[in-house]
Amino acid sequence: MAAPLELSCWGGGWGLPSVHSESLVVMAYAKFSGAPLKVNVIDNTWRGSRGDVPILTTEDNIVSQPAKILNFLRKQKYNADYELSAKQGADTLAYIALIEEKLLPAVLHTFWVESDNYLTVTKPWFASRIPFPLSLILPGRMSKGALNRILLTRGEPPLYHLREVEAQIYRDAKECLNLLSNRLGKSQFFFGDTPSTLDAYVFGFLAPLYKVRFPKVQLQEHLKQLSNLCRFCDDILNSYFRLSLGDG
Amino acid sequence: MSLVAEAFVSQIAAAEPWPENATLYQQLKGEQILLSDNAASLAVQAFLQMCNLPIKVVCRANAEYMSPSGKVPFIHVGNQVVSELGPIVQFVKAKGHSLSDGLDEVQKAEMKAYMELVNNMLLTAELYLQWCDEATVGEITHARYGSPYPWPLNHILAYQKQWEVKRKMKAIGWGNKTLDQVLEDVDQCCQALSQRLGTQPYFFNKQPTELDALVFGHLYTILTTQLTNDELSEKVKNYSNLLAFCRRIEQHYFEDRGKVGV
Repeated sequence: MAAPLELSCWGGGWGLPSVHSESLVVMAYAKFSGAPLKVNVIDNTWRGSRGDVPILTTEDNIVSQPAKILNFLRKQKYNADYELSAKQGADTLAYIALIEEKLLPAVLHTFWVESDNYLTVTKPWFASRIPFPLSLILPGRMSKGALNRILLTRGEPPLYHLREVEAQIYRDAKECLNLLSNRLGKSQFFFGDTPSTLDAYVFGFLAPLYKVRFPKVQLQEHLKQLSNLCRFCDDILNSYFRLSLGDG
Repeated sequence: MSLVAEAFVSQIAAAEPWPENATLYQQLKGEQILLSDNAASLAVQAFLQMCNLPIKVVCRANAEYMSPSGKVPFIHVGNQVVSELGPIVQFVKAKGHSLSDGLDEVQKAEMKAYMELVNNMLLTAELYLQWCDEATVGEITHARYGSPYPWPLNHILAYQKQWEVKRKMKAIGWGNKTLDQVLEDVDQCCQALSQRLGTQPYFFNKQPTELDALVFGHLYTILTTQLTNDELSEKVKNYSNLLAFCRRIEQHYFEDRGKVGV
């Protein structure tokens, strides 16, 4: 494919190419399917766009949101799933739905809502990559967006209080991690020996949780006990992202 | 509910057997109930039929407000009230009836994943169609939702609900979707379900599970509900094994027992 594919996304840290789950999903998929992606990391100049990241730009298209970007890449013949059977393709959709429903609220909470984590890690990291004065506004807005999403999707009566919602979402997330670990078992990837879309999604959501150093770490501790999921993340990092490690 | 309260409820649930007078509450069938609530209610009814537990369906205009979680349907068993399929499955399990005990860990994970898929895509698409598609809202939803109440309460309640649903759609990223994209998603979901079902009678071969009840509830309601256009049901009709699946469950669990589900 001659047309250059450029991806704007949030940058990396703690050994990851990107700290943002959705950006990481797209980067992982591109590596798995062999798509030549030029990654433009958002920095604190005014050049980059910040809303709705990750965004894929080609000569005549702008595509946002991971699901749409992956569809676009598939249409361009960069398909990581062609060896999957129809049932495995269906399983992929189902497990992605499971991750978005059960794991995502807790990941959002760990990064954006838990105040110790947010104030000491997330906010400074993102603020340093956004130009002033937007750096004063945007992290706060992202945090509110995350809280909103959690409360609107999970905070229905009788769970009125945030504390109870928190307990429920962390329980669901731990159960989801256990289910993923059971499903992965001893295999290298979720469907055989080659990575596919599901591996990209799982990696995208688990790797930041696994690697970023947080003060409040209950979900991270749980993940670290599931050694096959940790091995899965490390394997992908070592095989596919070794040459382009982010800053420490 | 909190962990302690849940453990407590489980204990109480386990203590008593299933009574004869268990009731399921939903909104008024003819005039008020909407597609998504009907689907949820049918899923619970199908699940209870599959477990062979008797249940009486009672229609009340204020079912949504009676429910402890604000969602229908809810069941009243003994002196406990439990709403929504997930908690009801747990409650029934505490009483000693379960459809998914025979599954191994990987199958249980798959079952949970597919249930989330249905909730994530089918239920959200139904909500979108009902509350965010202007044609449907104007012609069907507003009129139905507020029908038991006098003016102006009927309009106020309908607008309030619409605002809530739109907020939620925006938060999960469905706010900017067009109807065509939503129908695409429904098609994808049906394709995944169809591929998973294949030629088996139920999703986990010989025995139905809560996943079968949930899928039946949604698909049957989509197929039999009259909307402004038929696009939604057409998407489902493309998959003949799903149609056969619905027919099979309807015959087996509803017609044979002398009850009609919807």
